[in-house]
Amino acid sequence: MNQTNTVEEIVSQPYKYGFITDIETEKIPKGLNEDVIKLISKKKKEPEFLLKFRLRAYEQWLRMKEPDWSGLNYSKVDYQNLVYYAAPKQDIKKKSLDEVDPKLLETFDKLGIPLSEQKRLSNVAVDAVFDSVSIATTYKEKLAEHGVIFCSISEAINEYPDLIEKYMGTVVPINDNFFAALNSAVFSDGSFVFIPKGIECPMELSSYFRINSGDTGQFERTLIIAEESSSVSYLEGCTAPMFDTNTLHAAVVELVALDNASIKYSTVQNWYAGNEKGIGGIYNFVTKRGECRGKKSKISWSQVETGSAITWKYPSCILQGDNSIGEFYSIALTNNFQKADTGTKMIHIGKNTKSKIVSKGISAGKSKNSYRGLVSISPSAEGSRNYSQCDSMLIGDNASANTYPYIQSKQPQSNIEHEASTCRISEDQLFYLQSRGIDFEESVSMLISGFCSDVFNELPMEFASEADKLLALKLEGSVG
Amino acid sequence: MKSSAICREWLNSLPPTQGYLKEEQSIGRKLLSTKGMPSNKDEAWRLCNFNRLNSFLSLPIIINKKDFTSKLKYILPEKEKDRERIIINLTENPSKNINLPNGVEKLNDIEIKQNLGKIVKLMNIKNDISVGLNQASSSELLALKVKRNMIESLEIVIPSIEKKSISTRIFLLIEEGAKLDLLQVFLGNKNSAQNHLMEIKVESNVEMTHGLISMGEEKESSSICTLAVEQSKNSKYSLHSIHHGWNYARFEPRIIQNEGEASTIVKGLQVTKSKEQIATHSLIRFEGPNGKLDQLQKAVASEYSHCIFNGSIEVPKKAQKTEAAQLSRNLLLSKRARIDTKPELEIVADDVRCTHGATVSQLQDEELFYLLSRGIDNEHANSLLLKGYYDEILSHFPKSAGKWNVIEKLIKDIIK
Amino acid sequence: MNLSTPETILSIQDLHASVEDQQILYGVNLLIKEGEIHAIMGRNGSGKSTLSKVIAGHPAYKVLSGSINFKGTNILELAPEERARVGIFLGFQYPVEIPGVSNLEFLRVATNSRRKELLKNELDTFEFEDLVKERLKIVEMDPAFLERSVNEGFSGGEKKRNEILQMALLEPVISILDETDSGLDIDALRIVASGINKLSHPNSATILITHYQRLLNEITPDFVHIMADGKIIKTGNKELAIDLEKSGYDFIDKNTKDKELAK
Repeated sequence: MNQTNTVEEIVSQPYKYGFITDIETEKIPKGLNEDVIKLISKKKKEPEFLLKFRLRAYEQWLRMKEPDWSGLNYSKVDYQNLVYYAAPKQDIKKKSLDEVDPKLLETFDKLGIPLSEQKRLSNVAVDAVFDSVSIATTYKEKLAEHGVIFCSISEAINEYPDLIEKYMGTVVPINDNFFAALNSAVFSDGSFVFIPKGIECPMELSSYFRINSGDTGQFERTLIIAEESSSVSYLEGCTAPMFDTNTLHAAVVELVALDNASIKYSTVQNWYAGNEKGIGGIYNFVTKRGECRGKKSKISWSQVETGSAITWKYPSCILQGDNSIGEFYSIALTNNFQKADTGTKMIHIGKNTKSKIVSKGISAGKSKNSYRGLVSISPSAEGSRNYSQCDSMLIGDNASANTYPYIQSKQPQSNIEHEASTCRISEDQLFYLQSRGIDFEESVSMLISGFCSDVFNELPMEFASEADKLLALKLEGSVG
Repeated sequence: MKSSAICREWLNSLPPTQGYLKEEQSIGRKLLSTKGMPSNKDEAWRLCNFNRLNSFLSLPIIINKKDFTSKLKYILPEKEKDRERIIINLTENPSKNINLPNGVEKLNDIEIKQNLGKIVKLMNIKNDISVGLNQASSSELLALKVKRNMIESLEIVIPSIEKKSISTRIFLLIEEGAKLDLLQVFLGNKNSAQNHLMEIKVESNVEMTHGLISMGEEKESSSICTLAVEQSKNSKYSLHSIHHGWNYARFEPRIIQNEGEASTIVKGLQVTKSKEQIATHSLIRFEGPNGKLDQLQKAVASEYSHCIFNGSIEVPKKAQKTEAAQLSRNLLLSKRARIDTKPELEIVADDVRCTHGATVSQLQDEELFYLLSRGIDNEHANSLLLKGYYDEILSHFPKSAGKWNVIEKLIKDIIK
Repeated sequence: MNLSTPETILSIQDLHASVEDQQILYGVNLLIKEGEIHAIMGRNGSGKSTLSKVIAGHPAYKVLSGSINFKGTNILELAPEERARVGIFLGFQYPVEIPGVSNLEFLRVATNSRRKELLKNELDTFEFEDLVKERLKIVEMDPAFLERSVNEGFSGGEKKRNEILQMALLEPVISILDETDSGLDIDALRIVASGINKLSHPNSATILITHYQRLLNEITPDFVHIMADGKIIKTGNKELAIDLEKSGYDFIDKNTKDKELAK
């Protein structure tokens, strides 16, 4: 049908963040062994415990096998052919933004993340990470007034080693999975957030990740701790230049929420997805997990996934504290040869824990879009409830949409409900909008936004418009 | 002992390949000897209780008539007048000495050769252990056809034998325009095992209702059954199954609509108690457009038992305008029981309407309270609600299924 | 005062059309001028709704032969949104529900695309809210409906009022209202009808497609056409609708039979 063809054209559009910043970087030689890990640790002037942490993880990693269970065929990564540390040539973090290489500021400007004092976003504090290193964090002082710590993880390792030692690796153990072990061994930078007891974080926190070098693996590590009765909303965005090789991105994110604390973690992922023939693009193999350790704590994940050649990611919640709440809202849009295998795990352990999953997958081209999720209710989780809704939309007849919800219950006083549907853009709805004078492209875009609205509503204000723009951008193109 | 060693031992215990299923036997044995038994790393066997599977393999398989010593001690309900009963007792070729109604015939050797194993192969499942187990050990075959445009009813009863394992192989060809109402009954026995492989070829314009009552015996009975159905255009196939009372049971219905344009109904009920594990792994694939599926799988797990459902639906590109609905509804009645359910939807065609849903809960408190508030005692109220819960599946069985007293047993065993 | 002859808005000539390879229209002729109200009546399946969908440009309906001219221009090549922008409005018999798409947003985008065509300035969110609140009064609709998704969970009457609201915002040149009266109770019918009356305009025209005469008690048509088997078989004034109500559609069959016999 030619209507389908035009819809397909609408979802294809060139990647706008594919430029490379020409900047001198300091790289260590390719390859991975104990010495490389020691070198990374030394370059970052890390305390002894962290080096040990890395080496333990490396030892575990050597014994693990790269997973191949999800039916995603991809050319395997040559781990000895990657660079594990790359940083723009400048001294470790500058005290003031004025000292940051203007080329870097310009890069982030171009990406829509202005960092300079005059232009920066008014209510969002940003930590900008370029290749392996955090280059700037805005509003640090203002946050410090409230006792909120927001800095790069490297900085935190040196300045708050106790917190790092206490929490890092407690949510995602070093041997959790192949990629988490690798990350634990070689992670370069990332963000650290600490919200003290009783504090509601006065502004949105945001990290922006940029891969610039083609042969560098990106292994960032994020740790967010919300103490009793505190709350925070954190956003994360990512882009990369276009390379015709696949770049590996294996991040680990750990969230800890204590009693009555709440963490909202949002992601707009727009890594380079490869070209229309499926060449190049990022392998996005990420482990994200939050632990509702305290009573009545809440962790909410929302994500808009539009990029990467392959995405493997399951932001999860361990609902340990009684009455804790886990949420997962996801939009995944795939096109061309992209493969996204994403979903969540909701592990109910505490009493009266609740979880909600809303997933919207849109697949176009020859892409493969899968929802894979686990809802597990342990015998201890009396009175727990889960509600899941997974909807897929297919555009064109070469794309595939799969749903694999794993449901496991060992507690009779609990309730699980799962609903899923698959549809395409309805001709009648399209005609209705067109018959009111709205053009084809905008009608399709409206319908896709409508399909995703349950998730958009969950994104923080500043972000919702960014995400909508991103989808619209993805949908931009000429109508044939 | 390790399961690979048990498997080897089991293979060694089998007599040499022989008879007209010789070729099939070699295929199955080759698969098992190269692949060995599955492990929890295999997605399809992830949740299997491997100890049970091992004890399944430790029972001696009956191949020779002389092995068969114990007599049938079942008292079967009287057979219906217009429904011919076939009892497969493995003392002889199952198709000997049976009275077949007019419209049903045994397949001749050529027809068998043309058809046997084809449908299983069509499913194209890698390392198909359940099928391999049967192929390796089956020595007799019941192969029947319902002739064109005939309307027939049949009953096939397969009892188990104490301390033994049996393997049965059935092939049914339902020719164009025919109608078949089949009631199939598996009966367990103390310390026994059954292993079935059944292929059904449903030609165009056929209407087939397939009732399957699979009732084990609490003490160490197990059953593995693979059912492979191929449906042609404009056919209608409805499967209604009950599994209950097996220490270990695994049911794998696989249905393929080879040209689409057909209607499939699958309604299953599995009820577990004590330490039973019953698993249903269904696969429905559409190989052409305009296919329809209505699937409902219900499970009730009580005491220490474990119910598993894995429901795959595949809608490839050529299956435009498929309408498929799957619902998995589960009741978890005890703190020590466990339910795992996993609907799996794989869709490539864009113009389809597919939905699936799953719920896990206990009997509804409000409903229970309502009945109690009307003066009904707890036990009675629970049994009424259970009955209501079962009814959605049971009401579709042929009337004659009532003779097997299934519903009474399903309620009595759960409410103690 | 303008005394010149009224301009032709819509001219349909010998229109044949099909849907899903089944021909439904067999030579429809219709001429509609400024200021006129036409009613098209007929049994289910006579082709009334098909005619409206063809005029609005639904992609599932194929024109086999004949022409549709809007103000002298052939519109058959125009996409549905282009037809809407020049001022052709179809009020749907069954307005579709669009979950997730905000009604307010939808109305604003639609209104602005029409305004752009009319070379009027586009309205921002605040200006539009003022406009829509004013127009809501015409259909006596609760502003709460604006906050909901397009038609989602609306009752039959609410959906029809939402249609008339769209008509009020888009200010069309010709409105084709397909069974707008079906499924409405007396009060809703009165509101909808008075809305249509308020919106009628000497430079615009209206086509009412209806099965029953009751809407015509509220809105007086200048012409009544009767459709059967994909053609307009009889045209008259309001009296024709009254006759039809009295004697039912059988009387048409009889009439046509008599005619055929007379031939």
